[in-house]
Amino acid sequence: MSDKSKPVDTEPPLEKPPFFKSWAGMYWLVLGNLAFLIVLFYIITKFYE
Amino acid sequence: MRPLDWIVLLGTLGFIVIYGVWKTRGSQDIEGYLKGNNSMKWWTIGLSIMATQASAITFLSTPGQAYEDGMRFIQFYFGLPIAMVIISITVIPIFYRLNVFTAYEFLENRFDLKTRSLAALLFLVQRGLAAGITIYAPAIILSTMLGWSLTATNLIIGVLVIIYTVSGGTKAVSVTQTQQMAVMMGGMLVAGFMVVQYLPENVSFGDAVAVAGKMGKMNVVDFSFDWDDRYNFWSGMTGGLFLALSYFGTDQSQVARYLGGKSIAESRLGLLFNGLLKIPMQFMILFIGVMVFVFYQFNQPPVFFNEAARSKVYATPYAGEMRELETKYTAAFQEKQEAVHGLVAALKTENEAAIVIAENKVDALTTAAKAVREEVKGVISKATPKAETKDTDYVFISFVMKYLPAGLVGLLLAVIFSAAMSSSSSELNALASTTVVDIYRRSVKQHASPKHYLIASKLFTIGWGLIAVLFATYASLLDNLIQAVNIIGSIFYGTILGIFLVAFYFKYIRGNAVFWAAVLAELVVLYCHFYTDIAFLWFNVIGCACVILFGFILQPLLGREKV
Repeated sequence: MSDKSKPVDTEPPLEKPPFFKSWAGMYWLVLGNLAFLIVLFYIITKFYE
Repeated sequence: MRPLDWIVLLGTLGFIVIYGVWKTRGSQDIEGYLKGNNSMKWWTIGLSIMATQASAITFLSTPGQAYEDGMRFIQFYFGLPIAMVIISITVIPIFYRLNVFTAYEFLENRFDLKTRSLAALLFLVQRGLAAGITIYAPAIILSTMLGWSLTATNLIIGVLVIIYTVSGGTKAVSVTQTQQMAVMMGGMLVAGFMVVQYLPENVSFGDAVAVAGKMGKMNVVDFSFDWDDRYNFWSGMTGGLFLALSYFGTDQSQVARYLGGKSIAESRLGLLFNGLLKIPMQFMILFIGVMVFVFYQFNQPPVFFNEAARSKVYATPYAGEMRELETKYTAAFQEKQEAVHGLVAALKTENEAAIVIAENKVDALTTAAKAVREEVKGVISKATPKAETKDTDYVFISFVMKYLPAGLVGLLLAVIFSAAMSSSSSELNALASTTVVDIYRRSVKQHASPKHYLIASKLFTIGWGLIAVLFATYASLLDNLIQAVNIIGSIFYGTILGIFLVAFYFKYIRGNAVFWAAVLAELVVLYCHFYTDIAFLWFNVIGCACVILFGFILQPLLGREKV
């Protein structure tokens, strides 16, 4: 096996993410979850202040 | 430690090691050993990524951090989900397209051999030292609390990790990490449940959270901007993002986790899984720390959580002073305990005026109790000048040892050992991969058989494991070692991140320019370290910014090489 990085001719075919039609949906899920958690934490902080 | 604890501890650790060896048994080639034959499912990758990041110190220190400083440490992780998305979009497709074993292989494809070797060497120095600390940090705490020999504790962690990491390589690391994550999460959930159960009968879970809030521990988010404040929303979103980008995008101990995926989709999902669950996981660990804090408002905590360090004072002429302070602390605690009960009663009446009066009283008494603790730390440091006076790392383990029933102590110790083993195994695996792929196979012995490289990988894993154990054993000879290693990490991390950022986003800059830019950036960072007072965390930013800046300056001067 050669050590030189061997570029593969074709990228492995992208499988679709679960529940979403495209990866953008998954990314928005992660970012939306972050936004939701920040809002939730802000409410917790204010509520128990 | 009671017999049941030993059975649970040894049974759990034994099962994980045997499972790891059995599951990955049989002949392997170098592809299987270093990349797990690209057979990993997304959930294995996700758990493996989380287990690699969660070291024993996460489970020992984080609850103590919450005990001392509340929930605000969670903000440190706010940049992580964004980093997971960026890496999923940009980094993973490139690594897959080039079919690389290590992150540094990509640098040769993008730049040249010398840049690849430089980044690999910087990683080996930094991670090689960190691997020793990953073993040493929990070992020193466990040996202090349990009275075990430090060398024996180091050896137990080191040898168990070496056995399955050498045997099964990357796949063994990943499959054992799923078991380890189950133990870690299960153990922490049980500990959280138990601490709530131990609250006084008249204090409900809601009361406990309300008391924590009134005592300033539910400070989860802070939007105010302050350069001097280490944990706020803004530092989490910027510093946390940069740190997560460099750690998950350029550190081979993490890159190896998602390079073993069945496909790009599996790798992406594994990273995004981490982006979804990391913050809730840290929230849970911090919240357990807050509940331990509330528990200790109704049960007297030790005046200093590192009991061994406290006991040593009694063998010195400062024993009388210490005894006096302990009596003073008990009196201060009893007064405070009464005030906290008063606060609970006031909260139940929902009378704002009564709540404010009770809250002020608790605040004043907390300050008084803290002052006694500070005096105790002063006495400890006078009596035993080398003793560490920060005891937050001992808060959680002290609670576990003193209050949890037989069996659960063993389970919680298994959590800590599992965490130490999960991060160590990833580190050893990454160190061996980088040594073989980026140094040995590339620059020392280029045309040997696959079997030769497989054996070399195993030998390098053993070698790095032994170095880590040896370093952990003698670590106590150096003063303030953890900080020293953090400084060394920061000295190199910025430069490595800078090289990768140039590789991904600044196509204009080529090999010669980035190599010399990295060398100059490293010299600037070393100058800052030796001749300025700049805090070491800034070295990450300085190193990274200098590589990019120097790269742009040097490219027109050195940019005649062939692409």
